Formats: sequence, C-alpha cells, structure tokens
Amino acid sequence: MKNTKILAEVYNCIKCGICLNPCPVYKQKLLEAASPRGKVQLVRNILEGKLQPSENFMRILFTCLLCETCTVNCPSGLSIDQVLKAMRREIVKKYGLPWKKKFLFELLTGKRFLPFYFFWARILMHSLLPLYPGKGKLGTIPFQRLPGLNSLPFLERIPEITPVFKAKGRVLYFTGCATNYLSGDIGDAVLQVLSALGVEVITPKEQMCCGLPVFLAGAPEMAMVNIKNNISIFKAYEADVVIVDCATCGSALKKEYPRLLAEMGEITAEAEELSKKVLDISEYLTRFDLKKILHPMPKRVTYHDPCHLIRSQKIREEPRFVLQQIPDLEFKEMPGADVCCGGGGTFQWEHPEIAAQITSQKIKNIEKTQAEIVATGCPGCRLQIFGNLPNEEVKVVHPVQILAWSLGEGK
Amino acid sequence: MLNKEILKALTKIVGEERVLTSKEDLLSYAYDAYVEEFLPEAVLFPKTAAEVSQILKIAGQKQLFITPRGGGSGLASCGLAKQGGIILCFTQMNRILEINRPNRYAVVEPGVVVSDFQQEIEKIGLFYPPDPGSASVATIGGTVAMNAGGMRGIKYGVTRDYLLGLEVVLPSGEIIKTGSITNKDVTGYDLTRLLCGSEGTLGLITQVTLKLLPKPKFKRTLQAIYNTIDQAGNTVSKIVEEGIVPATLELMDNTVIKALEDFAHLGLSTDAQAILVLEVDGDDLAYIEKQTNIIADFCRGQGARDVRVSRSDKESEQLWMARRAAFGAVARLRPNCVIEDATVPVSYLTQAIKEILAIAQRNRVQIAVLAHAGDGNLHPLVLCDLRDKEEMKRVDKAMDEIVDLAISMGGVLSGEHGIGIAKAKYLSRQLSPPVLELMRTIKKTLDPQGILNPGSFLECA
Repeated sequence: MKNTKILAEVYNCIKCGICLNPCPVYKQKLLEAASPRGKVQLVRNILEGKLQPSENFMRILFTCLLCETCTVNCPSGLSIDQVLKAMRREIVKKYGLPWKKKFLFELLTGKRFLPFYFFWARILMHSLLPLYPGKGKLGTIPFQRLPGLNSLPFLERIPEITPVFKAKGRVLYFTGCATNYLSGDIGDAVLQVLSALGVEVITPKEQMCCGLPVFLAGAPEMAMVNIKNNISIFKAYEADVVIVDCATCGSALKKEYPRLLAEMGEITAEAEELSKKVLDISEYLTRFDLKKILHPMPKRVTYHDPCHLIRSQKIREEPRFVLQQIPDLEFKEMPGADVCCGGGGTFQWEHPEIAAQITSQKIKNIEKTQAEIVATGCPGCRLQIFGNLPNEEVKVVHPVQILAWSLGEGK
Repeated sequence: MLNKEILKALTKIVGEERVLTSKEDLLSYAYDAYVEEFLPEAVLFPKTAAEVSQILKIAGQKQLFITPRGGGSGLASCGLAKQGGIILCFTQMNRILEINRPNRYAVVEPGVVVSDFQQEIEKIGLFYPPDPGSASVATIGGTVAMNAGGMRGIKYGVTRDYLLGLEVVLPSGEIIKTGSITNKDVTGYDLTRLLCGSEGTLGLITQVTLKLLPKPKFKRTLQAIYNTIDQAGNTVSKIVEEGIVPATLELMDNTVIKALEDFAHLGLSTDAQAILVLEVDGDDLAYIEKQTNIIADFCRGQGARDVRVSRSDKESEQLWMARRAAFGAVARLRPNCVIEDATVPVSYLTQAIKEILAIAQRNRVQIAVLAHAGDGNLHPLVLCDLRDKEEMKRVDKAMDEIVDLAISMGGVLSGEHGIGIAKAKYLSRQLSPPVLELMRTIKKTLDPQGILNPGSFLECA
C-alpha cells in the first residue's frame, strides 16, 4: 500500500467515541460503522489482516460526507478524513469506481470530452427540460431545482484580462467548474466587485477542473492531469494572489495539491508555491474598505459554512465580515451554521435517504432565521440547500453575488 | 451458539433492518473505549421493551448470551460480548418521552445521549448534573447501568442520585417497573439502585425516570496554576476541609495540560506542574462573585502562582470541553492509554498522587495524572503501546500496585468506570467473601441461566 504512513495513524485512535455525536451521518444511522470511529477501526482491522477489503467495506467507507467534522473534534489529533481518503484510494484500486461516478469524473478530467458533452447537453437541456418528469429527483434534489447550464462556458465568454483604470492590484482567478459551466453569474459578480475595487483580474483560459471531487472519490491518477496542468498554467503569470470562488477548489489548491503530489512521489515545490498564493474571494475582500463601494441593501441574510471553508481552510469570520459591510443588511446567524448541509459532493446522490435527513435539519435552521437570502461559498452547498428549500422565494447565492447586487442600487 | 434458526426468530422480532451480521459490522461492535476486544455473533437494535422481552425469552430457551450496549464509551469491556452471543445495542431506542417541569422529572429511553438530553432540558431551565467525560458519547441507559459519575460529583453526586425509577426487562423476559416519579419512596427494597451500577448483569434497562434540578443561573470557572503538584493536591484537601463546595474541582498534571493545549489551543500554562480547574455555580450573582474571590485567594494562599477567572461562558465551555476530551487528548503521546480509576478519601489525595508517581517510576511506565480531585477520584492515565508485550507487563504491575495503594488508604477499586473485566481480578481485595457470595446469590436469583452479560465481574473474581 502506498498510503501506509497516513493509514498508520489509526493506531492513535483510542476509541473514546468523541467523534460519534458530531458526525452528521452517524447521527442519522446510529450505527457504529457509520461513525468515524467505526471506519477508523475497520481500517485498523484491514491493516492487521483481520479483515479483507470487501465491497461491503467499500460501501461503508463511502457512506461519509468527508465534512471533516470528526477531524476537528478528534482529541487525539487524528486526521480522520485523510485516513479515510487514503483508504478510498486503496480500495478504488481494487474495485474501481461505480460507472456513474466514472462517467462524471471522466467529464471533469477530460479536456476534450467536456466541451463536446457541454455542447450537446446545452442543446438537449433546452429542448428536454420541459419533458423532465415533474416529480423526479437527482438524489434529494428535484429536477426542476437543478441549475441550468451556462449558455456559454464562463471562460469562453470573458476576456482573459479584465482591465481596470489605474489598477490597484492584480489577481489571478481560478473559476472552478461550477462558475464555468453552471453559475456564470458568480463569475460576473467576482469581476464586478473586483473591478469596482480597482483590481485587475486575469482569468487563465487553460485552467481545468481542480480535480478534487475525483481525488476524494479515490481516483488520484485521474485527477493528476488536471493538477499538473493547473499548477503550470498559474505559474506562468506574475501575480501574488490567486482568488477562488469555490470552497472545494480552494481547499484543493491550498491543501490537497501538495499533499497528493507528495504521496504520489512527485515534486511538490511548485504546488506549495501556488498554495501560498491562493485566497478564497472572501479572504481577499477583507483587505479592502468595501463600505466605499457598497450601497444600502435592507435584506435579511444568513450564512451557511461550507465544510471546505470552515474546516478545510479555517475560514469562518471572513464571509460574515464581508457581508456585514453592506449598509442596512441585516445579518442573522442561523443555529448550527457550521454543520454540514448533507450534500457532500456526490454523497447526496449515492445516499439520498441519509442526506435528506441531514439537510432537513439545515433547512429548519435556515427557516428559523426568516432570512430572504442564504449565502454560502460552495456550489455543492448551494445546490443542496436550494434543492431542498420549500420556499422558492428565498435566494441561495454566493456572498460575492450579494456584494455585486449592492454595488448598484441594491436589490 | 447462534444458528440460522435462532437468527431467523430474532430477525422476526426486530426486522432485518435492525439486525447486523456482516464481518464489518461485527468488528464495529467488538470494542468500547477499553483496550480488550470481543467479537459478537450478531448485533440487534431493539426499539421497545416488548422486543427486548421477546429476545430474552428466545435467549432463555436457547441458552443464548445477551450483552447490552449503549454508546460504546465504556472503559471496562462491560458492553462487549465477552463470551460471544448477541449484542443488544440501544442507540436507536432514543426518545425523550416526557419532560415534566412541575414535578421536575423526565422519562427517557435508554439510548438518549447524555449531553443531548442535558441540552434539551436546559432549554427550559432544568438541569441534569451527572457529567461524565464521555457525556457526548454515552447513553443514559449505559450511564445508569454503570452508575457513571463525572466532574460535578463533588457538589451534585453521581447518576445514582438522580434516579427515580426504571423499566427493566428481566432475563426471564418479564417487564418490571421499579421506583416511582416522586422524590421520596421507601416502598420495599430499592431495586432501582440495585440495578444502577449492575453493569448489565441483572436486567436490561428500557426506560429511565430521572430527577432534575432547576438550572443554576450563574457560573464562574477558575484555573489555579501551580509550580508543584503537591501544592495543587493540598489545595484540594483544604478546600473540602474548609467547607467550600465548588461544583467541580479538577486536577491535571503537566502531561495532561500539554496534551490539552495541543488539542484545544486554549492558552493553558504549559510550564505549570499542575492546574486546578474549578467551577462555582448558583442563582445569586453577588454570592458567586464572592465565592470566586474566596476560592482564588484560598488557592493563592496554598501556593498557586496565578489564578485566572474565565472571562466568558464561551471561554469556560471551551475549557470544560477540553477537559472532557482529556482521555482522548493524551493519546497524542502514545498509541494506547489505560485509564485508572482508583478513588481515595480526599484528605489522602496529595499522598496518593505522590505514591502513584513513585509507582510509575519504579515500574518504568509513563503515568499522567488527572483527577476529579474534589471527590478523591483519581484518573492516572497509563500511557502505553499494546503492541509492546514487555511494556504491558510493567503496566499491569503498576496498575496492581495502584489498586493496593487505594485500598490501603480506605479507598475503592473503581470510583466510576466500573469493574467489567478491567478490574475483576482485584474484586476480592475490596469485597469480603460473604459480600461476594451475596452478590452471586442476587445474580443467580435474577439470571439463573447466566445468559445476561456473561464473563462479567462476578464470574472473573
């Protein structure tokens, strides 16, 4: 096994069980194998040869949101998510990915394949959308609540350099797949806000999917092409800051790239160089006096912490601070803002019955705030929350979109 | 032995969803927070007393072993299938059935997690004091079966002190109710308290009626920081002697302090040889402030180099959260930790700590000292690596000596963790032959076939 070193961390699990109650999946299933402790102990049994990796074990291993709640709660300091990710890589080597995931990941990692798919999907989506069965769902999300595709990928639609008069700064922009293919309006909002602040934005056209969803599913080789491409593309530009509008991409570029390359026996220097430059858009915006450019917006807004921001990147205050710069905006904290929404990337697709229960708690907490807008910096969370919110009037958006709205008259 | 036919009959009772037999699942119920592991033959998740009763009836007919289990945070293998058979896991039987504010009691199913229950009742100004370190893992049923204690013992007592009544399924399958919902009840033998702490050997708890208190309105947390562990120990004895009653009075040594700081980043003084963490609580703010000052002055008088009062409830809560995680946090230092639980009269605390450290040195084992100091409940944390057989021999010897030490001071084998298999071999050092015989008679009366939690303390003694 390649991952022996990280896997050996399981010997530091003292089985105290502190990880059980905070785990959203355990809390629903109330079965030991659904808990972080259960999974860690099974990994130990495998290392000791007392258990052979089986399909049942693989199913148990993938019944996990990778929300990292266990890791931040572990008194013994185990990187539980890292252990489980490493074990996923081992087991995918043996059993391969299920075909649905394989297809999706080939889309995300294939450079040529995706534009081709995209072209057809766009045509089909427009003509087939009305034909979707009214009550059908993808996981927990009704078809009608799924986002449409951008009419053109964001990267094709905008110029590589968004110039400003007398630039006060310069950043590179990593857009991520969500902005590129699904939510071009988030990309527009990023550019609008940064332009208003006098920041020149360079959006390298050759960037690819960060690869993290593929990597987390246990297929690092598939993700490798993307990782290497992105590192070399962003190295080519002169800039001190790389901004990201997606929690997952941010955690990939900041944390996982160097770690994964090291594990695969590759050189990590360039990945570490890149990692130092990466900032979530909310982190970057705290450097500016936003009040100067923002207009009053008397709306009630609540904020949901994406796992990949609060736990992977330890970003808690920045998005809240940035939103609170908007005059007249009423910021209302929800109970349990930092609890996973139940989306977990492809988790909600594979385990809709568990995801639905976790998400319904999140929705209740959102409803308690009576907010008109839910802000969150992760496309997976937006999809999961919007897809399950009964009140269609409530908007679920990226914080930077709210800032962009208040650039004008407010909305 | 479990065979297909029996399994089919059991499955009929609870449904397929609530029966686990895969290798992976059985391995997941082979452990608790102690070091030993035992593989069960199946795990069942009952949801009603009627289901439990039917299961026990089949077990009686087929001589099938049944072991109850809650959150799996136990420290003595009490909830493990030590001789095979079935684990009955109560985690899915977890409803709070009633919270009665006028009469200040609550009725819960056994699988409710202690801290979940506490949060729920605190919303309406009620308070359930028992506070084991594992409160966020342990179930109410498990803490009743083990008579769990915790940090608030010095002022509020232990689980036993908050029990009004139980619903219990006897090994025969009969469902009985003990106790009442009133505070006073002298009707017959106190079966409630007999079952409390019986470690799942006499009956299976399917409902618990708990006594509640009004929640204290205010609290303050203090840290007294010491250059020697003796000064800290002496402070504890003197506080108790003086009649000052804090809600909690915890002692941790340098090793524990460093591990907790590493985990929680609270700004603890990592160069201190010992820290006492105290909480005072009550309804009168002026009185609390006064008591806080008295304790702070008192600690300084006993040699504390500094006394810090938490500035906010959040800061206090973080400190207590870290304290509860101490057992896990010391695992940062070595792969395994055997947590000792010997308890001595509080005036012997300093001497006991001193001798425990001498035992550690003599046997060349690493022991960190943690204690619910206010009630003399020591938690020497023996840090070790189970894979090192030679080291484990020395660990065993040190544990043996600690037990003798506690008994020689008029203390007990275990203050709150239970006997299980961890302490069974020492049982006769504390209990006399007639007492052991009486206990065996009680066990035989209730469980003549010995189907409930076999391999437990009485059989190993």
